[in-house]
Amino acid sequence: MLTYQFDWSVVTSGKYFEWLVSGFMVTLKLSVVGIILAFIVGLLIAVMRMSHFRPVRWFALAYLEFFRNTPLLVQIFFWYFGSYKILPQAVNDWLNSTNFEFAAAVIALTIYTSAFIAEDIRSGVLSIPKEQMEAARSAGFSYLRSMQYIILPQAVRITVPPLVNQFLNLAKNSSLAMTIGVMELTYQARQVESYTFKGFEAFTAATIVYLVLSTSITALVHLYDKRVLNPSRAV
Amino acid sequence: MDAIFNFQVITDNFTYFMIGRFPHGPLGGLGLTIYLAVVSCILSFFGGLVLGLLSLVRNPFISYPVNLFINAVRGLPLLMVIFWMYFLLPALMGRTVPESQTVIMGLTLFTSAYMSQIVRAGIEGIPPGQTEAAISTGLKHWQVMLYIVLPQGLRNMIPSFVNQFVSLIKDTSLAFIVGVSELTHVATQVNNRTMAYPTEIFIFIAVLYFFLCYAFTSLSRWLEQRLAWRKAI
Amino acid sequence: MKKLATLALAMVLAGVLGKAALAAPPADTLAEVKKKGVLVAGVKDSLPPFGYIDEKSRTIVGYDIDFINAIAKKLGVKAELKPVTSASRMPQLQEGNIDIIAATMTKNPERAKQIDFSHTYFFTGQKFITKKGAVRSLKDLEGKKIGTAKGSTSEQNVKKAIPSSTVLSFDDYPQAFLALQQGKVAAVTTDEAILAGILAKAPNKAQFEIPNLQISDEPYGLGMRKGDKNFVDFVNKTILEMEKSGEAKKIFEKWFGPTTQFHLQRNFKITADK
Repeated sequence: MLTYQFDWSVVTSGKYFEWLVSGFMVTLKLSVVGIILAFIVGLLIAVMRMSHFRPVRWFALAYLEFFRNTPLLVQIFFWYFGSYKILPQAVNDWLNSTNFEFAAAVIALTIYTSAFIAEDIRSGVLSIPKEQMEAARSAGFSYLRSMQYIILPQAVRITVPPLVNQFLNLAKNSSLAMTIGVMELTYQARQVESYTFKGFEAFTAATIVYLVLSTSITALVHLYDKRVLNPSRAV
Repeated sequence: MDAIFNFQVITDNFTYFMIGRFPHGPLGGLGLTIYLAVVSCILSFFGGLVLGLLSLVRNPFISYPVNLFINAVRGLPLLMVIFWMYFLLPALMGRTVPESQTVIMGLTLFTSAYMSQIVRAGIEGIPPGQTEAAISTGLKHWQVMLYIVLPQGLRNMIPSFVNQFVSLIKDTSLAFIVGVSELTHVATQVNNRTMAYPTEIFIFIAVLYFFLCYAFTSLSRWLEQRLAWRKAI
Repeated sequence: MKKLATLALAMVLAGVLGKAALAAPPADTLAEVKKKGVLVAGVKDSLPPFGYIDEKSRTIVGYDIDFINAIAKKLGVKAELKPVTSASRMPQLQEGNIDIIAATMTKNPERAKQIDFSHTYFFTGQKFITKKGAVRSLKDLEGKKIGTAKGSTSEQNVKKAIPSSTVLSFDDYPQAFLALQQGKVAAVTTDEAILAGILAKAPNKAQFEIPNLQISDEPYGLGMRKGDKNFVDFVNKTILEMEKSGEAKKIFEKWFGPTTQFHLQRNFKITADK
């Protein structure tokens, strides 16, 4: 008969605790860097998607559809292992001298998430009445300037809750970076398991960290929803 | 210099990409990917329906824990859910569980939590006037749900369900990590064996996934338009 | 409040795990396997020549697999092969998903606390694969990235041998070798026989070498559940007989001998431990 001895001290102190903490920091770093870049790229793609110039619009559409409809894991493998043949040798050498595991994970997460963010921003823009654009144009703003000063600031405000959701998705998706050796939280939990055979404890610790992260951020969105978007309902 | 890309590796291993070791061994490759996605989708439809209905029950002793559970699952990475299944299933079932079933259960649990939100939104989207009218004709609460609200709600949910199916197809790639030989796993196997064509192999499977997912994404959009049009008249 | 409740849920989850101990795999695998008529073995599926998919037949073949087939034959049952990774093989065995591990597994005291090992059926040592001429001594690897596989002894050994190195762990060795080819790591480390297998299959093998730097001995054993005495005895008896009849040597020659790409010397014999 197998009996399992619980030993929570494995994950609450000492070397393995430090591993988990450093894993959490990497997860956080991946998520924050990823969401900032994904937001910038997503905004760009969203604007391109609404452009009146067809090739630009088509490029944005192809980008959206392709990256939304392929698994993130495959994209991670592609950027890490597959990009080698496409890039010039000098670029490869430079990338390899850096922390390329982390960079490849950030690239994959950024591109994947930006495709979703672009759609969120676009629906935010579409929810702004058309008349505003017409008014801005007749006031002498160019298309891009009207976007920049009139439409986007409002759209982004509406888009904040879905954006925060994308941030959460990104934080959760960053666990896939473990497959290319990025030592984030899930990777470290697995390391602790394989060194100590205390898998239950290690995964429980990681689970609690993920849950605390996602519940606290979800709570912030609710607050934003109440205070900023629907201030009349604020208590 | 030769061409940069050499897609020979794809044609040489094409059967393996499609069906894995089948028929001499278990099904693998794209075949297993589709199998995993379809089975998990059917199961999570029912899982989502049950969780969604329970989360709307007026008794807080039922709805509160159910909502808590749904939120907890939604707060975790799918990878974590699969690892938990790995540990929990044998304990709960009292017997050993093959990896493919572990993955199906992980995907099902994870997707059910998301499907429950769709079910919830679908039900809440039916005007309450209908429920009131039905109740005044003498129907019981569960009858109203079963005969009046659900049939309409479900129809509106179809496009979202199809979208979840697309997510499922993409999510099956995580089965790779616990050693289930679906498409991504098979691709890394071939990649490991040949060790020279990662670009070709990953582009090939990305395109394969893309066609599969894009077909269903388009279906979902078409359904959405059709349903909207029906409602309009 | 919500956060607290979520925490509580996690605790409940952990409580359920306490019952994990109840999932008991068969105590007497020998009897169970005979009853089922199948021996389920955890093997590697992309690690030539120990266990890999043959391109033509699309089945798993290799040194480890031949041992499993011999044991299954002796038992009079069918062998079923299940691919495992270095990280998944022990949990798989303990949960009863497989009956035996034949997956290039090094015997060491920590693992022996969790599972029982057969006598050593293969013997090798941990070395490195590097770009030709890049590494003369362990000093050349200080501060460099070194690739290996998750959950392996190689990972733990190299951290001890070269503490200043960064160890990058992949899901399996060939992936680590791919990283070496692309210059992402300075070396790949694991057991010499595995390295030789990878190198032999590599498309541009002339650029790589295995310098004569050994950091540990690696005796491989077949893994079985702890305390499963009948089964362990049976397996030990079988592989000793295979040594005596010359079958074990024949399997070695088939996968590593002069007719293969590896040309390894068989510097061990299967004998009873201690």
